[in-house]
Amino acid sequence: MWEHRCKVAISGVGFSKVTRSAEIPLAAHALEAVKGAVDDSGLALSDIDGLATYPELPATGHAMIDGVTVVSVNCMMAMLKLPNLAWHVQVETVNIGGAVQQAVNALLAGVCKYAVVWRAMHNPKGTYQNLPGTYAQGAAQFTAPYGFGGPGQGMAVAYTRWLERHNQSREKMATLAVTQRRHSHKNPHAYFCGQPLTREDYLNSRMVAYPFCLYDCDIPVQGAVAIVLTTADRARHLRPRPAYIAGYGQRLAFEVAGRIGSLSSYMDGGRSSSRLTWERSGFSPKDVDVAQIYDGFSASVIYGLESYGFCKEGEALDFIQDGRMELDGELPLNTFGGSLGTGRIHGLWHIIEGALQASGRAGERQVEDVNVSFVGASAPIVQGTTFIFVREPY
Amino acid sequence: MSDWSKVTRPIPVPNEWTKPFWEAAKRRVLALQRCQACKHFQHPPYATCVRCMAIDLAFEPVSGKGAIYAYTIMYHAGDRRFAAAIPYASIIVELDDAPGALLAANLLEAPYTEAKVGRRVEVVFEPLNDDITLPQFRPARDTE
Repeated sequence: MWEHRCKVAISGVGFSKVTRSAEIPLAAHALEAVKGAVDDSGLALSDIDGLATYPELPATGHAMIDGVTVVSVNCMMAMLKLPNLAWHVQVETVNIGGAVQQAVNALLAGVCKYAVVWRAMHNPKGTYQNLPGTYAQGAAQFTAPYGFGGPGQGMAVAYTRWLERHNQSREKMATLAVTQRRHSHKNPHAYFCGQPLTREDYLNSRMVAYPFCLYDCDIPVQGAVAIVLTTADRARHLRPRPAYIAGYGQRLAFEVAGRIGSLSSYMDGGRSSSRLTWERSGFSPKDVDVAQIYDGFSASVIYGLESYGFCKEGEALDFIQDGRMELDGELPLNTFGGSLGTGRIHGLWHIIEGALQASGRAGERQVEDVNVSFVGASAPIVQGTTFIFVREPY
Repeated sequence: MSDWSKVTRPIPVPNEWTKPFWEAAKRRVLALQRCQACKHFQHPPYATCVRCMAIDLAFEPVSGKGAIYAYTIMYHAGDRRFAAAIPYASIIVELDDAPGALLAANLLEAPYTEAKVGRRVEVVFEPLNDDITLPQFRPARDTE
């Protein structure tokens, strides 16, 4: 087991307004989320001395404009002018979960006391994915000429392989979409809060990239979420009950850019990340009381459930049936609605929900008697990170 | 069957690593990067052998016969240049000669509903202009 388990905790969490597309600069969303998280902890901005983010723009082909389409650490520093700032970082090899893990490391090293991590996501007006123009350079030279554009197709090809190798049917995924939508009705910050989705809606919806229909894809939105991390000793003296970080992991393999469609690369990423998390925390999948698993595209949940070890390969779509993923089920799953319910804010919202469930702060959607709360964050699994939060340090 | 006649495809730009692939394709030969130390084929081309780390890599012809490893049927015209072909099959092919080397393509000369994991396919060549010819795949015609 990890000697540093439960020595760092998530304290406050914050949310911006989530809108369909950009109406105000993204920096304003990030600021709202960060201030919200600091307020939630009962801290002042002057207490914050660490900053971390992953300032990526998934809407390909659009300009990276700091403060408008991304919010970098530099942008946040310029806005907040923190008098006691002591540490900051931006990550690249993993998604936002990597920024959270770097903040944990900085806190363990004692180089900062209260770190803020945010994820701000831009949705441009007009076309989301601008594909290569007349010419396809770099890795795209082997994909774009064939009409492979966005990440949806990259995930979709792996999904057909999974479906046909395991003789499964995509109709079973309706359970995930409908249940998560219902969970999102108990999350006032979620984009789809209050908008119903039936099994028939799912089964009759238009196809986007087979096997993905419209409701297999999270909706691009503009918004931001943020958290405050601190050491366990400090967290205990703050307003919210802490969610202690019992272990984490990150994917330890990567495919050559441009190699797409490999189901095994998703599975290898998930297995390597979760193995570290189980070993460090000392827990195993059967100990988990509630799970958040990244669902930018629905099939990502399949790869997560299987590669993390919650069920056997080929069984994930059966595993989620019969009420198992309900709030009172055997493994309550994506209890905040997931990205399919909140809109595309990437994995930090999964991490936030994992923390809220562990600390008993999930309100109407709180699962009873949670101690071990699992999160598979980041998009997709190949960029994955995993976490376990606990209510009781051990 | 998808109508590709009105589709304007982005044109690949060869670079230092990929030039021999496109030069071979222009001659209607499918050639993949092969490690000269461990004989592993890989695609897309890369600086080192991803199996044994050797840097002695060369392009060698492959048979062009293989099977659909995975596929998707595109219904959404995210890229309007492809709108005329919708719905169309974008496939990933694993070649008999080069297990693990996955090539993207479209399924040509067949309805998109013919795309299935494991279906046998063979390479065909689609010239885009005087310099670039695109390897593509169609259902295998010989009896195997």
